[in-house]
Amino acid sequence: MSKKILIIEDDKFLRELISQKISKQGYIVIGAIDGEDGIEEFKKEKPDLVLLDLILPGIDGFEVLSQIKSNAELSKTPVIILSNLGQKEDIEKGVNLGADDYLIKAHFTPNEIIEKIEKVILK
Amino acid sequence: MLKQKKEILPLINSDFIDGILIFSKQNNLYFINSPAAKFLKIKSKKALGKNISELEKARGFKDVAVFLKQKNIKEYEKEIEINENLILKAHIIPLGKKCQEKTLVVLHNITRAKRVDIMKTDFISLAAHQLRTPISTIKWTLRMLVDEDFGEITRTQRKFMERIYKTNEKTIKIIDDLLNMVHIEQGTYLSKKKTIDIEKLFKNSFNFFKKDIKKKGIEFEIRTQKNLPKIKADQEKIQMAINNIFENAVKYTLEKGKIIVSLKHDKKEIKVCVRDTGVGIPFNQQYRVFSKFFRGARAITIDTEGTGLGLFIARNIIEAHNGRIWFKSQQGKGSEFYFTLPIFQN
Repeated sequence: MSKKILIIEDDKFLRELISQKISKQGYIVIGAIDGEDGIEEFKKEKPDLVLLDLILPGIDGFEVLSQIKSNAELSKTPVIILSNLGQKEDIEKGVNLGADDYLIKAHFTPNEIIEKIEKVILK
Repeated sequence: MLKQKKEILPLINSDFIDGILIFSKQNNLYFINSPAAKFLKIKSKKALGKNISELEKARGFKDVAVFLKQKNIKEYEKEIEINENLILKAHIIPLGKKCQEKTLVVLHNITRAKRVDIMKTDFISLAAHQLRTPISTIKWTLRMLVDEDFGEITRTQRKFMERIYKTNEKTIKIIDDLLNMVHIEQGTYLSKKKTIDIEKLFKNSFNFFKKDIKKKGIEFEIRTQKNLPKIKADQEKIQMAINNIFENAVKYTLEKGKIIVSLKHDKKEIKVCVRDTGVGIPFNQQYRVFSKFFRGARAITIDTEGTGLGLFIARNIIEAHNGRIWFKSQQGKGSEFYFTLPIFQN
């Protein structure tokens, strides 16, 4: 069965681009436009991996991450942060909260992002 | 003359903006004007004649005291934060034999300038972060267009898209540099240290700029002293410093020039030299080389895209590792950039 990937990203264009790329690889893609929507979809859809932006309207990505990781049933779902925040503290905070990887958007091509997803999802 | 002195003294005492203190050779307070008393929150009458070891209990005096107590004090500048609403810059100036070895301390209020500086840094940080989203969008879209995710493209279309992609990558680099500068200014820069191999980092750098080196027909050589020790450092940052120095050498060396990297060490430190036969830096601009946004006059005409942040970032990285960085340069002949890194870090 195809694996399910949840993309929490508020920028519509970026979300569409990366969704298209990922679904082409044979994954089922679910999009969420903000943190609250993301958590809702996460609980409903139980994805195999979450691609998470950090700066989101309402509850931010860090909060989403800590909610995912505090859910006993779902905390094992891998999360890759895909953000434009690249400061040491942001990266450390993300990793400490349990993110499996931290990617800065401007530094990765869609193909490289796919590679990272496969690495985490096949682990 | 005496009359003039009488007129001037009250001016210095109360109408002056800067705080002024004079200490005797024995470091007793000899003179204090009212702005200085206000800055340091002390009563002039009470403080006069007292020794610095007594005064240093007052906030603000402590920093000054450290320097007064040294034996051969040289002219010195230091920032003193009295509280968050009052930041002073202290100039400590030894007055010499003519003035019985007295020491002059001038306190200048820089609170506003500091605030503006922080606002500027915050603004650059915000602007750079905001720019990252649109440039990421451009990067991803172009990549997917070139990879034919949206359908076939012609060779000509590909050629131009690749060019835009490259330009966008340069923009990303500029934004990264700006953010690096912001992190330096905010003091949130270095991360974990691990064992690194300097020679390997230079080879990485060479590979990174290989294309340009070949295109210009530049001769490259790396001379490494035997048994170069490995050191502990923040690998990513040292690589960045090396890349910045090396990139300049490549950029500003003309065709058929030469770049020599030499790596030496003694018991205490590794000494690195990057020598090029490039355009060099004019003498009258040399004092500004490591300051941010500096661009040499010739450099601007050769490379229009530089940010003037490379060496500023390099200096901060090296100094944060307790190393030293300096250079020698002669216009039209070339430059030699040196830096050291201690072998044992505390």
